Amino acid sequence: MEFLTIVFLVYSFIAFYFLFMFLLLYVHNKEHFFDYPKPERQYSLSIVIPCYNEEEHIEQTIQSLLNSEYKRLKKIIVVDDCSTDNSFEIIQKFAKRYPRVMAVQTPKNTGNAAGAKNYGAKFVETELIGFTDADSYPDKDAIDKVVGFFNEPNVGAVTSSIFVKKRDKFIERLQTVEYKVITFTRKFLEFLDAVHVTPGPLAIYRKTAFEDVGRFDEKNLTEDIDITWHLQVKRWKVKMSIPSYVYTVVPDTIKDWIKQRNRWNIGGLQTINKYKKYFFRKSGMLGNFIMPFFVLSWITGLVGISILFYRLSRRFIFEFLSAKYSVGAQAALLTLRDINLTPNVLIFFGIALFAMGLSFTLIALVNARDKKEKRYKQTGVLTLAFYTIFYLLAYPLLLVFSIYKFLKREISW
Amino acid sequence: MLSNKKRVFWEALLLTLVVFILGMLLGTAFEGAKMEKVNQYYVKSEISLMDILALNYLAETQESDCKVLVESNLALADKVYEEAYLLEKYEESGKLSENLKLAHQKYDILRTFLWINQMKISDKCKGGIDSVVYLYEFEPDDLVKKATQGVWSKILFDLKQEKGNGVILIPIAINNELASLDALLDKFEISDFPAIIINEKEIITELSSVEDLKNYLG
Repeated sequence: MEFLTIVFLVYSFIAFYFLFMFLLLYVHNKEHFFDYPKPERQYSLSIVIPCYNEEEHIEQTIQSLLNSEYKRLKKIIVVDDCSTDNSFEIIQKFAKRYPRVMAVQTPKNTGNAAGAKNYGAKFVETELIGFTDADSYPDKDAIDKVVGFFNEPNVGAVTSSIFVKKRDKFIERLQTVEYKVITFTRKFLEFLDAVHVTPGPLAIYRKTAFEDVGRFDEKNLTEDIDITWHLQVKRWKVKMSIPSYVYTVVPDTIKDWIKQRNRWNIGGLQTINKYKKYFFRKSGMLGNFIMPFFVLSWITGLVGISILFYRLSRRFIFEFLSAKYSVGAQAALLTLRDINLTPNVLIFFGIALFAMGLSFTLIALVNARDKKEKRYKQTGVLTLAFYTIFYLLAYPLLLVFSIYKFLKREISW
Repeated sequence: MLSNKKRVFWEALLLTLVVFILGMLLGTAFEGAKMEKVNQYYVKSEISLMDILALNYLAETQESDCKVLVESNLALADKVYEEAYLLEKYEESGKLSENLKLAHQKYDILRTFLWINQMKISDKCKGGIDSVVYLYEFEPDDLVKKATQGVWSKILFDLKQEKGNGVILIPIAINNELASLDALLDKFEISDFPAIIINEKEIITELSSVEDLKNYLG
């Protein structure tokens, strides 16, 4: 058997395994998918909003939290990280009008979200502490659907369903599909006690758990991944509330999208490097599932893209040479005999995997529908096809670029 | 909860193994069916070759019709040429076993035999048809060689289409470690491939077009 055939078969096995695992989790837990516990009591809560040059969005973010139906939302602490635009003036205007809103400013720009978040956390005295990005808008009942998870004393953090706010541009619609699949997958991971990130748009932590892990790591570009792994190490549970919706603004240009993904990748690499000692060690699901899953998905992505490039480049060179020689010899460029319609077993495996992957995406799209779905244009076939075939292919490509930057220590927000 | 989690991991593993084993079994059966088809063709071709060899033997011992000898060799060569095309397509889709590659080797022995027989017939029956033996490398890594061979195959296919029964075309892969073929290659002193031998006289290692090739034909 050829080496590439063996690689393809190993790939197929891994992909089948994880797809089956997710589908089984869906079948076993679909009745509990949208469950959220009613709070046994009203936990006091403060929300911290880190803000840097967000004059366009900050007003709506604060307003969406002011509209929250959760009665014991004591403070909304908006931390301006020395913005160079009008953000701080807007925050101060809100602070003057609403006693719950607190406007604070870092002594100097911290250079990352973690710095501003930790600075704001100093002013929190409630049982729970939440964080919302300055360009994210939680629904008015989003917090109510999260706090009940804290009835379990060992729950350290709860995250929400994140949806894309603007869906006009093609790149935004692609991310709409992506965010829904991520939301859907994260809930599966919760059933395994393996949530690996509490993303910035809305995450609420038990204050004692937050202090237990020493707050956010300011050196890490993805402080939300780092803190979640740290919570896992300290055996705090992390939950996911599907009915709690938060809407966020996503990059609307390819350049910004690449910048954001690069930051996520480098942050991921920093986190893996930091927690590598827990790999397959006694660290619960972190070392036994989250880390291997994370690393394996990256390795398979990298090896896969390398093989794809190798095959495509060889094919391209061969076709180029064939065309050149055919023209020179006045022979036909393409004949019916060149077309091979004889299928092979690898193609069948490939088709089966593609169909399963597509089914998974479709199930995610159907299940992760938000209340405001009707306002937006429905996900079209073109978006779905592009997402499935090309968008996902861009992940490992970007990862190569990120690894290069990580190794060169070009680590900046 | 922990046992539930573990259960999902094992269930997923079991399902994957079932699907994978089923897929591999089906794939092997699928390739086996193709191999069976190739084998049937091969056996028929082998019978035809034996028949021709018997005819040749008869021709050596008594007066026989050159026309019959030439036509039967040509018919077999054409049949093997078409089967080679089918075999090539099957080889490209054969991923799990090496059986189809072995079939290629068997066919190369048969084609070598066919070439030897053609040389004998040419000696006996002068002024017959043109023989074109195409010697190429099987699955070369070198892309330049692969592309060159692809174009040469097209040129030879065009030639055969144009000349029909006026040309006997025998393509043989040279890297199959066949002693008889190696001996023939030594005899013709060929070391660069691809190469074309026309009527056992002209050896071509540079080919520009079908017209170029036609100049060497009788």
